[in-house]
Amino acid sequence: MLKGHLDLIVLAALSAGPAHGYAVIEAIRRRSGQAFDLPEGTIYPALHRLEQAGLLASRWVTAESGRRRRVYALTRRGQRALAERRAVWREFSSAIGGLLAGAQPRRKPA
Amino acid sequence: MISDYLESLARALDFDRSLSRRMRQEVEDHLCEAVAADPGDDRIAAERRAIANFGDPGVIAAQFAALSLERQGRRLGIATVLALAAVFIAMKVRVAWYAVAHCATGEDVRMVCGMVSTVDRYAFWLAVLAGVGGCAHFCTEHARASLARAYRRQVRLRFLCMAAAAALLVSVTSDGVLTAIRLFAAQFPAQFVVPVSSMALEIGCVAALVFQIRRAAQRTTSIAVLLGR
Repeated sequence: MLKGHLDLIVLAALSAGPAHGYAVIEAIRRRSGQAFDLPEGTIYPALHRLEQAGLLASRWVTAESGRRRRVYALTRRGQRALAERRAVWREFSSAIGGLLAGAQPRRKPA
Repeated sequence: MISDYLESLARALDFDRSLSRRMRQEVEDHLCEAVAADPGDDRIAAERRAIANFGDPGVIAAQFAALSLERQGRRLGIATVLALAAVFIAMKVRVAWYAVAHCATGEDVRMVCGMVSTVDRYAFWLAVLAGVGGCAHFCTEHARASLARAYRRQVRLRFLCMAAAAALLVSVTSDGVLTAIRLFAAQFPAQFVVPVSSMALEIGCVAALVFQIRRAAQRTTSIAVLLGR
């Protein structure tokens, strides 16, 4: 289930600002209250896929340790995509919440 | 231990050299960060944990392979469409030039020219059919779900692009024959410029397309290893 939302999770993790792969994983762990403990290697294909789709941009920087590090940031398209996906998710979450609580969901089912 | 892991990841990603180099640096930084953040005192154990948390190189490489096939496929599709468009424009420009420069063929070769033109026409439209069909198939079938599906889609695209390139080669060869016949009858060297330039463009387009197909074939063969084919 998590895999289906990986793109949204990564975009959300980068909404706070540019970050490298390890920092993205850490942000996901921290902001999800340790609920999302992904295999760390899976983040990189997702980062590359989002970059290929134009939702992220990346560049090399030199870290304090002297190592070269790739830093990813949301592009304008990425910010728009995140806003759209966030809205869809809230609608979906609200509908499921209403359904599980036994109340009427806000929208009529299709 | 980290360098061994990086070596095996780089080997698994060898189907794309630039990706392999980039990932080696990215993952090295990641693992060093993970080891530095590890609360334990034992560095070897910390490295082992960082590697275990990162995951199997084969699984990561398979995820990248699907992406790589997608990128390569798109590049191949664009190269095919561009080659077809460029050859078409070159042919039209040459025909227009013959009309402007009054380059007519002699009676004795008219029948040969007619036959070669027919071969040229059918071969070109066959190339268009195969190339556009391959691109349409690639664009309409989404293969992000699995590497096996992405691989099969890439193989089909490559087959259709190869068919398009073969037909285009026949078409360009026919164009070459027709151009040679016309040039033999040309009276002024200036009449050579446009036909020869357009032929050079056509040959260059076919060569570029064959080069792209060859690169796609090499990558697909490397990725087939990940699938155990």
